[in-house]
Amino acid sequence: MRRRLGPAALVIAGALALAGCGGSDSESGDSGSGSGKAELSVGSAYMPQPVSDEMAAGFFTVTNKGGAADELTSVTSEIAGQVTVHETVGSAMQEVKGLKVPAHGELVLKSGGNHLMFEQLKRKPKEGQTVSVELHFAHSGPVEVEMPVKPATYNPKTGH
Amino acid sequence: MRTKTFAAAALLAAASLTLTACGSGNDSDKPVAVVSEQAGTEKAATVLDKPFEKPDLVLTDTQGKKYDLRKETEGKPTLIYFGYTHCPDVCPSTMSNIAVAKKQLPKAEQDELRVVFVTTDPDRDKPAELGKWLKGIDPQFIGLTGDFPTIQAGARTLGISIDPPHKDKNGKIISEHGTQVIAFSPKTDGGYVLYGEDATVDDYTKDLPKIAKGENP
Repeated sequence: MRRRLGPAALVIAGALALAGCGGSDSESGDSGSGSGKAELSVGSAYMPQPVSDEMAAGFFTVTNKGGAADELTSVTSEIAGQVTVHETVGSAMQEVKGLKVPAHGELVLKSGGNHLMFEQLKRKPKEGQTVSVELHFAHSGPVEVEMPVKPATYNPKTGH
Repeated sequence: MRTKTFAAAALLAAASLTLTACGSGNDSDKPVAVVSEQAGTEKAATVLDKPFEKPDLVLTDTQGKKYDLRKETEGKPTLIYFGYTHCPDVCPSTMSNIAVAKKQLPKAEQDELRVVFVTTDPDRDKPAELGKWLKGIDPQFIGLTGDFPTIQAGARTLGISIDPPHKDKNGKIISEHGTQVIAFSPKTDGGYVLYGEDATVDDYTKDLPKIAKGENP
């Protein structure tokens, strides 16, 4: 009798799993407002303190809860004359026109992968400061991000 | 009691499967749950069975003087990395990680350690630029520049392949950096430990005292 607990628990957990994940492909047909367009939020933003006042990098995650994809098309900042979006391919980094934010998904910018490149800096960002950045998207309105400047060795996985 | 444990285990297993399934939908190649599970146990250092020979590189240092890598670093614990200064992301973080870890060594060992940054973009990284950039990270670090084919050949002997910088369609220069740091033993002068670009300050802090003595981390 008690032994059946095991499989039963498994089934329940399985059902929860379905409920949790099901959204990604079936929700687009829902009648809810928001399901037909992107719903963006930005988190985990930071800038590692750069070595010089020539260039800096920036990272963040864009989460899209909506049912339509969007695209990060350009970035501006009070601190830099130019901000470009880059991807890393093998051991080279190259500028891209935009980065897709999938429906019900995320766009992740992280060290060793996609990142922002700030050039023509007006001052050298220092640890403890924040840098204002505006993200522009193909469909959604612009999003203001306050990017904290972290140590050059900051690792978001360990938090220091 | 036993059955209960089993049930809990089953639930846990199912729950972690759930995470994996959801994670892979967003981040195409890596299931989030699995990666974070391994992070604690994974070692940053790879100790090589067959160490690399130190490349026979004679280049120019940040003072504009000739620098013979083998001669200058003989019998010294040495870390070598190939990168460039117009690199916002991986190059400064790799060098900064090593710099912070190095400061935790006893002073005498800090002075013995040779950290060599070889540029992969010698047209832009002249001795002065290289020197200025490295000074912002650690004034003891050695920066080397020279002609690209020499640097490329040196990197190749360490299993690092670098293409020459080229311009993209907007006229911007695209350079490449090595993805590994190679540590050379003071005892054998062989390159016996590799670090990938995700090696952290903590990894280097833990390992540098060993490398300073030529021991395996």
